[in-house]
Amino acid sequence: MTSIIESGYEFWNPIIWLIAFAVVMVIVYFFRRQGQEKYKKGEAQAQIFLCGEEVPEAEQRQVRGGNAYWGFFETLKEYYGGIIRPHTGIVNDYVIWFIAVMAVSAVVLFIVELAK
Amino acid sequence: MATLIEHSSILIIAIPLLAAFLTPLIGMASKKARNVLVMASLAFVALLVFALARDVILNGIHVYTLGAASPGLTTPGGGVAPVRIILEVDAISIFMGITVALVSLVAAIYSLSAMKGETGQNRFYTLLLLMVGGIFGMVFTGDLFNLFVFLEITSISGAALIAFRTRSADSQEGGFKYIVVSAVASLMVLFAIGLLYAQYNSLNIGALAAAMQYTMLDKIALVILISAFAMKLGGVPMHMWLSDTYSVAPVSITVLLITASQASMYALTRTCFTLYGVTLDSAAVGWIIIAIGILSMFIGVTMAVRQTDITRLIAYNCVCESGFMLVGLGVGLAVLANPEALAAYGITAISGAIFHMINHALFEGLLFLAAGAIFYRIGTRDLNQMGGLGHTMKFTAILFLLGALASSGIPPFNGFASKILIYQSVYQFNPILTIIGILVSIITLAVFMKAFFAAFTGASLPQYKGTKEAPKTMIAAMTILAVIIIFFGLFPGLILDGIVRPAADALVDQSPYINAIMGAIP
Repeated sequence: MTSIIESGYEFWNPIIWLIAFAVVMVIVYFFRRQGQEKYKKGEAQAQIFLCGEEVPEAEQRQVRGGNAYWGFFETLKEYYGGIIRPHTGIVNDYVIWFIAVMAVSAVVLFIVELAK
Repeated sequence: MATLIEHSSILIIAIPLLAAFLTPLIGMASKKARNVLVMASLAFVALLVFALARDVILNGIHVYTLGAASPGLTTPGGGVAPVRIILEVDAISIFMGITVALVSLVAAIYSLSAMKGETGQNRFYTLLLLMVGGIFGMVFTGDLFNLFVFLEITSISGAALIAFRTRSADSQEGGFKYIVVSAVASLMVLFAIGLLYAQYNSLNIGALAAAMQYTMLDKIALVILISAFAMKLGGVPMHMWLSDTYSVAPVSITVLLITASQASMYALTRTCFTLYGVTLDSAAVGWIIIAIGILSMFIGVTMAVRQTDITRLIAYNCVCESGFMLVGLGVGLAVLANPEALAAYGITAISGAIFHMINHALFEGLLFLAAGAIFYRIGTRDLNQMGGLGHTMKFTAILFLLGALASSGIPPFNGFASKILIYQSVYQFNPILTIIGILVSIITLAVFMKAFFAAFTGASLPQYKGTKEAPKTMIAAMTILAVIIIFFGLFPGLILDGIVRPAADALVDQSPYINAIMGAIP
């Protein structure tokens, strides 16, 4: 079977997943069909705010990319402060990081060699 | 046909290089003829790659000695050492070749529309073909010095292409950074090659592997090669150039830059598994690569989620995905000297990493092309300026979503197939690594949901009311990648057994690679 991959731990077959997905979709469709059929366009039920509050213009109600996950960034403020600082945009710094990685890798290899 | 396949490895490198020099000449006469030349040469090269792949999988390693009476004559005059330039294509080389062939063809198709109206198109296509020839050279050569030469060809043409839009200061800066980083990496690679040549009097990878003693100088060369290739593939903390360059290059070139980074990943694995092989302290080196991989995954994805420039966001995600590959390869390397662990999960970890290489090139390529289509239509990459584009750019939205789901490892797409191999095999080595991997995948999904919702959903913004769908050739190029992503996702077993497992086997056993050059070792 060309769809199956085995990791030596268990297997993965996307065709079985697709069949399961299709069954779930049919069930979802069935429940959706049970909903209200007498939907009328252009009336109060189609408004964003049922209370009748005026809907802002498209530009004002658009959630911009920069506003997403505000809480996540606020919680991890210290982590981001530390991680953004080395991203200086200066190419000299990029080369220093390369030298640092080379030095640390060499030290690790030689310590391991000495420990043997 | 047999003659064509016999010479195919050199033709695959030579055709793009020759077409590169013909392109400006033909371009002066007719733009249409130039475009036909570019497309025809890349399509023919792709056909040759698939023919060679079939030959390599069925008949084993393909060796081509330049200037020899017969392409298979690696040690002329009954000598014991290979002295000529030798191309050596085994299962991992041809796997990379397939990736390069697919991606370069798609990049060229996309460029037909994306570069329309730009000046200097003759130079653009010349450089594009040079870069493709350079990448093919990197993955097909069996000679370390040639690896350096092709690395230089790829880097120089890549830098010129990043800086192609000379009107943009960001592009100039990106090109400058790329050439500086590439030059430093290339020179260090050359220095490491010099250390090896000084000891073993050979530049051939097979001959060097046969003679490797793992001396102090070899260790120094190994550290330099790992660090240099890790920088070229964007491993943390040497990744900072990547977002500065990927985000400012024309997107069809960014797709090729991803492939160039994959070629550096190939060079890293070739160095560790084939050149040094069982001689090195595989556990220590494996853990060094795992450490770079874990850092790349975590820092890559947490930086990606912070970005508001859509191409920088995808670029940081590229750093993250490279981390998955490094972890898989690192685990395989760490257990290389332990046959039981290698058979139990090491080979699966390497297979997952290799499978992820081609998947990464496909879905990140698709994401960049979709981001390029947005930029082509609305002229900005800033997510804060976007919104509601799904109303007018429906195909682009669907294709972006598909790439995003594949990148996040959502079933049944190709990213899931390779990531599950990495998760399950790495779990048996160290469960913490898998837990980090799954957490990173969840954040990756959050990254792309942010990008998708900011760009495509919401009410249609007045400034983008008249925006049209991307041009047909752009959609066609993206659709090709999308179809391959779905195909790889639905039939992962076919890809795994057909090209991935043979590539993993070629990595873990260095003797066939050595024997193809030196003859059978008794």
